[in-house]
Amino acid sequence: MAFVNLKNVTYKYPLTDKPALQNINLQIKEGEFVAIVGPNGAGKSTLCYTLAGFAPHFFKGELSGTVEVAGKISNQSTLDEWVLNVGLAFQNPFNQISGAKYTVFEEIAFGLENIGIPRDEMKKRVEDAMTLTGITDLADRSPYSLSGGQQQRVALTSILVMRPKLLVLDEPTSQMDPIGTREVFGTIRKMAEEGMTVVLVEHKVEWIAEFADRVIAMHNGQVLLEGNPSEVLTSNVLIKNGFGLSRYTSAAREAKKLGIWKKEKLPVTLDEAVEGFKK
Amino acid sequence: MLEKIKSNFNTQTWVLIPIAIGLNIAVGQIVLVLKLPVFLDSIGTVMVGVLCGPWAGALTGALSNVIWGIAFDPGAFPWWPVAFFIGYMAGRMANWGFFKSWWRVVVTGFVIALTAAIVSTPISVYLFGGITASGSSFITAYLMQTGQGVLQAVLSTGFLTEPVDKITTAMLAFAIILGLPKRTISGYPNAKNVETQTESKTELYIALGVVVLLILFAVFLLQGMIASLSG
Amino acid sequence: MRERLSFYIKRDSVLHRLNPLTKLTLTMALILIAFLSPWYWTPHFILLAAVLPLSFAGRVFPEFIKTALRLILPAATFLFLMQAIFQPVGETVIFKFYFLDVTRESLMFAFRNATRIFVMVSSFTLFLLTTHPSELMSDLSRRGLPGQFAYVIISTLQILPQIQAKAQTIIAAQRSRGLDTESTFFKRAGAIVPLVGPLVFGSFIEVEERAIAIEARGFTSKNLKTSLQEIADPSFERTVRWVLILLIIISALLNLWPS
Repeated sequence: MAFVNLKNVTYKYPLTDKPALQNINLQIKEGEFVAIVGPNGAGKSTLCYTLAGFAPHFFKGELSGTVEVAGKISNQSTLDEWVLNVGLAFQNPFNQISGAKYTVFEEIAFGLENIGIPRDEMKKRVEDAMTLTGITDLADRSPYSLSGGQQQRVALTSILVMRPKLLVLDEPTSQMDPIGTREVFGTIRKMAEEGMTVVLVEHKVEWIAEFADRVIAMHNGQVLLEGNPSEVLTSNVLIKNGFGLSRYTSAAREAKKLGIWKKEKLPVTLDEAVEGFKK
Repeated sequence: MLEKIKSNFNTQTWVLIPIAIGLNIAVGQIVLVLKLPVFLDSIGTVMVGVLCGPWAGALTGALSNVIWGIAFDPGAFPWWPVAFFIGYMAGRMANWGFFKSWWRVVVTGFVIALTAAIVSTPISVYLFGGITASGSSFITAYLMQTGQGVLQAVLSTGFLTEPVDKITTAMLAFAIILGLPKRTISGYPNAKNVETQTESKTELYIALGVVVLLILFAVFLLQGMIASLSG
Repeated sequence: MRERLSFYIKRDSVLHRLNPLTKLTLTMALILIAFLSPWYWTPHFILLAAVLPLSFAGRVFPEFIKTALRLILPAATFLFLMQAIFQPVGETVIFKFYFLDVTRESLMFAFRNATRIFVMVSSFTLFLLTTHPSELMSDLSRRGLPGQFAYVIISTLQILPQIQAKAQTIIAAQRSRGLDTESTFFKRAGAIVPLVGPLVFGSFIEVEERAIAIEARGFTSKNLKTSLQEIADPSFERTVRWVLILLIIISALLNLWPS
């Protein structure tokens, strides 16, 4: 039995004619780290909102098919129950600051206060989560005084601290530098190995190749391709549909035309590219 | 009753309220820069009233005064009931369908102005003896010197000074709501209040009649005042 | 521009350590008694014998006086003058100014009203100087105030400086495009839309994402909320609060009593 199970899911936002998701079928195992790629308007964010319960509970609109996570059906639950199982963090860190708290420590505790975690356990969980994402030194700062990248870490920590079974992330590192991105992806990978299921939307495909178990390519609200990262991310189907390939894949493609790249398989990450060109 | 109040508040309402209070204050400051004879400092309150409902509007108004008191001037506290009723009335009028076209919005603005004048009168009279630290008190003081009672003088001042500000506020709120994408508005509890209608001719005539009556009413008030001034 | 909008000054004092609700009750008591007590000198007495000593007890006297003078004195003075000159009460004319009579009674009346306002504003200022907003809201939430109120108050205090900063940016941008705040009335009136429009539109667009973010963190959870902050409330403070409420009731009764 899959931990996340989407069957024939079609979703239409209110006041729109065209569905944002069309007939999606998707199964994800517990502890799996799945990345989603696709051009703008492919329905990646809508898929995130659907997994996290906001479509249809928050946006209204029409959802058909079944969305099942951890044995519960979205259409038969309420949003406040759903978010206990599914955590969501998205791109814009500024809008994810609650505003109700003066320090980062309090900000991260906000969710735990809302769901009624006792004080001692709350403190411990906040401290643990901050250690995990490496922001203990920010504890007493005002969330508004932080850089975009730091705010994104706080937003991620604020969700991790709720210990969701399924973590849905929509470009959570867009404002981080490469070092920060690597650290955060390492943390997410670790969470997945400890049994948290992760669904991640990401533009930086080289990171996906390194960290994700599986890649789903979306286009026009549909799943176009899915499989292991090195296959999906070098596929010709992606280029035909206007996807961005990693710069290493693009370089190797050109090199292959000139006969410089000898291997059959194209690289996605820097390491693979270096390895391939050496030969 | 409790259910009705609750229906005004979803998460979007709670998120909008702080932003609306911020807009009240920031817009008030912008208008100050422009040196116009209006305040527009209840624009956020009116918008919450219209989009979320009378109780949400009322809460926004009252909290706006509390925040103004906490942040800038504790002297603003006692006026919270005025802001409360501005928000409430905006919501009530919108629920009655008076926020769907220009004519109706003008009427709403006028009703809000009358409400504000009536609610502020007892506060001004009991707390300050009618003369507050605001500029419009010169008019009140003048009326009192001519022999009008405190209550009458304060009320007349309110009726004289409020309508321009509140009608402008309501019209600006309407313009902004018309300009916002429909999807942005659809999530608020009373989004249906601003589904604009194309007006039939009869409705336009009725509206025109109402406005004329309102003008006559204002003239009547003014005349009464002039009479009491010369008397 | 201040980054956080609050008067709060972090210090260790008796007043700082009091439970926020006790301080709030004390503030309300000082104000209500100043307004309700029928005895003429009550507000003056409260100002000198309660508010001032309390500002020493709270170790915020310098800030208190500065805020009070900056904030209240101009308004109170203006109020005093307006009322002294325009309040048509009393017979004993002290001096005449054109058609206006300044009487002994109107002076007395104005003096008391100005002092009452001074008590009101200065007590609140003292309360705000010694109470952190989040401490107050946590305490009130613990006592049953719905959690959404704490959210609204605190986030307004934090969002406000940002909205103001945005407003300043928009004003500057419009100025560089030729906005003239000294031009004719109609031009200035026409400038409202380009100034206010972007500010309001931008703010409205944010609402949806902000709402999603807090919903994702259990904002609408039906569980009983808990609080990270622990706020002391010793039993003697409860007694103090009841005594203060009793004093308010007594002043109200005295006020209503036909003398």
